[in-house]
Amino acid sequence: MKLTKSFNRSLWVYHVNTGSCNGCEIEIVATITPRYDPERFGIKLVGTPRHADVLLVTGPVTHKMVDRLRRVYEQTPDPKVVMCIGTCGQSGGVFYDSYNLDGPQDQVVPVDVYVPGCPPRPEAIIHGVVTAIAKLERLEAEKQ
Amino acid sequence: MANDGEERPTTTIPIGPIHPALKEPILFTLKMDGEAIAAADFAPGKAHRGIEWMGMRRNPVQILYLAERICGICGVSHSLAFARAVEQIADIEVPERAHYIRTIVAEFERIQSHLLWAGVAAHELGFDTLFFLAWRVREAAMDVIEHLTGNRVNYGIIQIGGVRRDITEEQFALIERALTGYEDLMDRLLELFLEDATVKLRCRDHGYLSREDAVGLCTVGPTARASGVRMDVRVDAPYAAYGDLAIKPVLPDGYMGEIRGDVYDRIVVRLIEVGQSIDIVRQCMAQMPTGEILWEKKVPKILAACRKAEGEALGRVEAPRGECLHYVRMNKSGAPQTWKVKASTYSNQMSWLPMLKGEQLADVPIITASIDPCMSCTDRVAVVRGREQGVMTKEDLHRLSVEKTRRLMR
Amino acid sequence: MTAEKMTADEVMDLFTSAFGDGVHEAYIRTWGEGVARTKTPSLWLRIDRALLHDAVKRLMGITCPHLAVISGTDLGEAVELVYHFGIYYGTEGGEYMISFAVSLPKDDLTVGTIADLIPGAVFSEREKQEMLGVQIVDIPDDRRLFLPEDFPEGVYPWRKDDSGIPDTMVKNLWEVGRPTDRPEPPVAEKEHGGETDGE
Repeated sequence: MKLTKSFNRSLWVYHVNTGSCNGCEIEIVATITPRYDPERFGIKLVGTPRHADVLLVTGPVTHKMVDRLRRVYEQTPDPKVVMCIGTCGQSGGVFYDSYNLDGPQDQVVPVDVYVPGCPPRPEAIIHGVVTAIAKLERLEAEKQ
Repeated sequence: MANDGEERPTTTIPIGPIHPALKEPILFTLKMDGEAIAAADFAPGKAHRGIEWMGMRRNPVQILYLAERICGICGVSHSLAFARAVEQIADIEVPERAHYIRTIVAEFERIQSHLLWAGVAAHELGFDTLFFLAWRVREAAMDVIEHLTGNRVNYGIIQIGGVRRDITEEQFALIERALTGYEDLMDRLLELFLEDATVKLRCRDHGYLSREDAVGLCTVGPTARASGVRMDVRVDAPYAAYGDLAIKPVLPDGYMGEIRGDVYDRIVVRLIEVGQSIDIVRQCMAQMPTGEILWEKKVPKILAACRKAEGEALGRVEAPRGECLHYVRMNKSGAPQTWKVKASTYSNQMSWLPMLKGEQLADVPIITASIDPCMSCTDRVAVVRGREQGVMTKEDLHRLSVEKTRRLMR
Repeated sequence: MTAEKMTADEVMDLFTSAFGDGVHEAYIRTWGEGVARTKTPSLWLRIDRALLHDAVKRLMGITCPHLAVISGTDLGEAVELVYHFGIYYGTEGGEYMISFAVSLPKDDLTVGTIADLIPGAVFSEREKQEMLGVQIVDIPDDRRLFLPEDFPEGVYPWRKDDSGIPDTMVKNLWEVGRPTDRPEPPVAEKEHGGETDGE
């Protein structure tokens, strides 16, 4: 499916866990299961950031994972979209005051789309991916 | 590279925190002797959010919601254990109907957790079709949970002194439909997972954990039961409505006739437990008492009762992965003086060390997944030793596991 | 191992008679839930730290115990470690939880290890070392468990005195504002009160 000039093939997704409670992980994996079935659009989970177009980052970033998150972000080739899944990555959520957490995700990597929820439903995650595609189209159009 | 008279240099392979084989960040370090693992070590800590420290600054009702998000898969177990501990200290009597509702929600959580694990185990073996099937079947349980509690994950249904929502008559019919659906599927699921020749080849006699090791390393839950230890908090120290029901711990010899303590036995235990959960929910629905669902409806009054409470207590529940224990100590102030969480994977993770010894690298994903690790409940560990270092990504490891399956299938 | 199952009172008497003055407090609490109210007892003992190893050995002489976890509290003058064991699991409705609490004065925060009796205790002991600053003597493996390597030495998260977490280390995630170097969103941001606090 031809989305934009940058992404003219299907989107491949890579998921990074920076210390989350796994609620968002379950919902992300539930999103690729037959009920919601994004694989009909060609969206699939890959095992390495070097193949990915979209980074799904979950969890409030613990101290040990800051460096690794940055490295994964750098390993993902451009053009890429970073999605922050879950409330704890956006404002801390339930973990709003902790000694081992280094900030919401947008302090570590630039985030394009925020999907709130604890955890967000699979429909919300799909909506987030659609919003990401729309944002890309808008940015491409603005460039011209 | 080996000199005469010297031992072969071992390779050390760190399997780093970002890892497709496990959804959580874990760092393994495997000392390899050729193709077999000589020693394994691992380090938790990458998901450490300081939850117990945060809990000491919040009041008990706030901690309920924090406890639920210790782990998304076994969330209600944590909040139930905490609520039990506080109820024991403050001497709060929970109405009987609330006990039954708690039991029903906990059993549905167990069903969806075991089916989740079954899918993940199939994925590690390379059976993606089975992975998708297990998760699609799981959606029926998620629908029921959503009808009962309002959310698929992180239910928010436990309150100190009871539950927050009641189960109505229409919902009973819904639950019954879901249970019947699962009963029809049980035979098929058992056949797909257990009768398959490749699954048997990959899982039989791999990841062996002896009974002595299981007891000495303090394992709990299905991991311990698969090695022959008859340990199940629901039976040993009944809580909620389990004291009124007729249940027995599930051990592999009931289905297989013998106990071998390997990965295959763990699959058996978990799948049979799904059937057991269906039976428990049926019993609960049949015996459900009427009455209130909350000891006290107004939250400020609950908090006032907690502020007057003093003492210490243990709240234990049988989470899908094993025994989950919360130790709470209160001293007449707003926040608890001490709150210690012991999740089941905290106890189970030590069993990785004897299980991985002598195994091949391609078996690492399925063996590590076989104890059903939930590192957000625990935190990970990493250790590196040895002279040589080789780096492997998760994708390589998963690919090795899948290739081994294909090789065996020929 | 004694052949038949002892009652909770018998188990308690075994320890109180063996240790005499070493036991500072001992009580049994029972709690039952559900309609049938099946009660299970939990035994609590406060003993001297020198008696801990012996207590665990005696417990292993009764039956095979299951160490659940070791928890710790900062009591101001002392740090108290509580060892939670479960015995007689496998009997229907008959498991007792028995907990030994040892009090360690803050000027001498040491206690002997029980990892030689129960190998699975190593993890819990390592956690207490890093969270409370307790020194476990003869521990087989004393690396840090959960805290990151660059966590400052001498800071123990569960302590309530000066060696606890200072306020400088606590980060309030919700106070961090929006990043300013991102492209403009398609929807115009509302003025004042666009971001509601504590949603």
